[in-house]
Amino acid sequence: MTVLRKRLFAITIAVAFLFLFVFGRLFYVQVIWGEDLQEKAIDQWTREIPVIAARGKITDVNGVVLAGNADTYTVFVRKRAVEDMDKLCAALSETLDMEYDYVYKRLNSTVSSEVTVKKQVTKDKINKLLEYNFSGVYYSRDNSRIYPYNEFLTSVLGFTSTDGKGQSGLELYYDKYLSGIDGEILYETDIVGVEIDGGKATYIPATDGLNLKLTIDYEIQSLCEAAMDEAMEVHKAKSAQMLVIDPNTGAIRAMCCKPSYNLNDIPRDDISLLHALSRNGLVCDIYEPGSTFKVLTAAANIQEYLNGNKAAFSPQHIFSSSRYRYVDGQKVKCWSTHEKGKHAALNLAGALNNSCNPIFVDIAMSLGKETMYKYIEAFNYGSVTGIDFSGEAQGMVLPVSAVQNVDLARIAFGQTIAVTGLQLAAATAAAINGGIYYTPHLVSEIYDGNGIIAEEIQPQSKGRVISEEASTILSSMLESVVRDGSGKQAYIEGYRVAGKTGTAQKYENGIIAAGKYVSSFVGYFPANDPQYLALVVIDEPEGQYYGSTVAAPFAKSVFEGIIDLKNIPLPE
Amino acid sequence: MKLSRGGERERGDILLIVAVIILAVLGVVFIYSASNYSASATYGDAFYFVKKQAIGIAIGIAVMIFMCFFDYRKLAKFTIPVSIASFVLLVLVFIPGIGVENYGAKRWVGVGSVTLQPSEISKFALILFAASYFSAHPDRSKTFLGILPVLLFGLATCLLIILEPNMSITVCVATLMMTMLFAAGMRIKHAVLMLIPAIGAGVLLILMEPYRLSRLTAFLNPWSNPKGEGYQLLQSLYALGSGGWFGVGLFNSRQKYAFLPFAESDFILSVIGEEIGFIGLLMFFALIGFIVYRGMRAASRAKDLFGFLLALGITMIFGIQAVINALVVTGSIPPTGLPLPLVSSGNTAIIIFMAEMGVIFNISKNGALTF
Repeated sequence: MTVLRKRLFAITIAVAFLFLFVFGRLFYVQVIWGEDLQEKAIDQWTREIPVIAARGKITDVNGVVLAGNADTYTVFVRKRAVEDMDKLCAALSETLDMEYDYVYKRLNSTVSSEVTVKKQVTKDKINKLLEYNFSGVYYSRDNSRIYPYNEFLTSVLGFTSTDGKGQSGLELYYDKYLSGIDGEILYETDIVGVEIDGGKATYIPATDGLNLKLTIDYEIQSLCEAAMDEAMEVHKAKSAQMLVIDPNTGAIRAMCCKPSYNLNDIPRDDISLLHALSRNGLVCDIYEPGSTFKVLTAAANIQEYLNGNKAAFSPQHIFSSSRYRYVDGQKVKCWSTHEKGKHAALNLAGALNNSCNPIFVDIAMSLGKETMYKYIEAFNYGSVTGIDFSGEAQGMVLPVSAVQNVDLARIAFGQTIAVTGLQLAAATAAAINGGIYYTPHLVSEIYDGNGIIAEEIQPQSKGRVISEEASTILSSMLESVVRDGSGKQAYIEGYRVAGKTGTAQKYENGIIAAGKYVSSFVGYFPANDPQYLALVVIDEPEGQYYGSTVAAPFAKSVFEGIIDLKNIPLPE
Repeated sequence: MKLSRGGERERGDILLIVAVIILAVLGVVFIYSASNYSASATYGDAFYFVKKQAIGIAIGIAVMIFMCFFDYRKLAKFTIPVSIASFVLLVLVFIPGIGVENYGAKRWVGVGSVTLQPSEISKFALILFAASYFSAHPDRSKTFLGILPVLLFGLATCLLIILEPNMSITVCVATLMMTMLFAAGMRIKHAVLMLIPAIGAGVLLILMEPYRLSRLTAFLNPWSNPKGEGYQLLQSLYALGSGGWFGVGLFNSRQKYAFLPFAESDFILSVIGEEIGFIGLLMFFALIGFIVYRGMRAASRAKDLFGFLLALGITMIFGIQAVINALVVTGSIPPTGLPLPLVSSGNTAIIIFMAEMGVIFNISKNGALTF
């Protein structure tokens, strides 16, 4: 008997031990591990419907809305919660203009328990569906981007994907500000997504995106859009681009690239066409500037002369009248024949007026490549300007170690170098605004729905490139280009327009392409206190091709429009 | 003997019966909570499992009352018929038309809508056989040859159950067999001798059916395959973890919304733990522990070796199943399909367990420390 009692006692101890182990294990799982486990469990207990944050608006500098949102919704169906599938499919296909068979197949053959039926459905159609009071059908706000002016500022604004993500332009660059943070509605459901009776719905509101106020002026932009449309038509050009910038801050007032497209009718089906049309050529493409680049060579000479550099030429210096220069045995010639006294006895101002190539060769050869490159770099050629835009090109500048004299001779009048339109405009602005380089920018302010400013973008200076005196001298020379020289077609009586024309032959596969030119003009007014600087670039115009006759008139018409719009009085 | 004890003996252990009924009723409440959602989705009746269990409990109480007044000593006479019935039923499981297959295992025999789980009966048959055998030949427990009949009976039962297959019940029956032998006074060296082939058999079983190995590893890291082998255990842990200290409240389980499979049967403890928390489960297990305690008490006071072994065996199978079930739902051992006695949905089990509790009551009524 004592053996049996001992055995019973041993079994009792073993059972007690097992119970204690169970308690310990339960304590560990439920109390110590519990919170972590519950967190994971909550994840599977709920299904969420996204509440899409409203995308931020984009306005011009005065608050004109350039990109906004329409009130649309996504319709989706949680299959397991549907009571009458046939009736639902019929109603959906009728209301949403979809094939019945397509809707039925989508709802019945997809594996997912949650099916998106259609996006960007208008409010009145949603109201119609709501009347049916279907179970298992859900609606969530989404974003339909609306651009009130259709084909306007297209390449700058860019576009969004159908689900509202920025794809190009400012929509892409500022996407993280514009997109906001989506919220969601959490429903308590069973394992297949059927809502539980009496289950709670948790609403997590969306944080709407921030709005952008651009530096763009709607009215000036309109002038440019009209001017470039006309340029495309009149000159049958491959492309026509124009930008207007405030030379004293770098704020871009207008930026227009043609051809473009209607932002409310994006050619999404043709990807290569869409990419070509939405490209902002002024920022992302490079070209050989030709004579507009002489502004840099002139600025370098004037500054070096003022610095007392003996290699620089005095403004009074009369250059050789020959049409040719020989550099390292190669003949460099002027575009003009120099016959009948043309380009004879010119000083620097005269050289700019007539855009005489050999004189700029003289300057570059005399200053030497180290000095020339000092200015090329100071004016930011060869590197990005830092504009708030994606995909900016940095241009093509031969490295200083590789530059031959004959290359430098051509760089002096804008060949053997490639720049973006934006680089040229920003550099010219620095040359004539008193000598300070400002980083160009497109956005002036980022603010929220209550008008509270989140970020204000101040003009950003990269420092002085030439002295104020040099800048003043240069500006008066450029004023004479418009008054007396090749820029006459931009002349506006009394408003002191200044500028420089450019005509560059295009190269294809390394050889000059016959009859293909880039005609350009960079100009500004008033010359003594520049407020608006415009660059016009017409690519491959048919017929006439000189910058003076093709590009300059558009700068003039836009300047006249600005004078009119802003009621700018005649300078004293 | 003290008079007070004598009085108690005559009354029998009524507290045990009360505890058993409370546990069974609590079981129905939790079966309702765990199954109402899936039952109304599957059968269109939220009370489907509740009704079934209620019928089981009603029959169970009737049988239990009968057993309370049925002299347990007469049970020895039924040893041979019950043993034969047990083996016949276990074999019938494999006969097409009678055996019923569910989830890939043949564990039931059925005629029409009435099904029976023979392994539930086999456990009692083993207890009865061992108790009868050793009470008839008390000295045979000391020799290996003497324990051989019980050993063969147990192993044959195990073999038939593992073929269904039902590894968890097999483990239970094997443990029960060892406990019976141990309680009857088997020599320790014989026990050790038997453990060696037992371990070998375990390894062999795993090698025979590869799914056993993947189940074995699944419990160690259920997140390695959350949608496959680890799914059930993860859902069980989510339920228990969500319960925390005090639970989410009765009927408020979230895991029962089809996340947790077998919520009303093998994994009912997870739902209970979710709803009443750690503190609640502690009290729940106190009730189970109380039943075990009263069973051991009845065994220790049994008048003869037959009553001692019978009460101990019944108590042990109840306790072993409860503990193994708790270890499964907490991810402490590989998951196996094993119901929580008196609580999980399942008619054969509830009727047999209630009947067995009636036997313990009868033993306690006639109990005396005469050995």
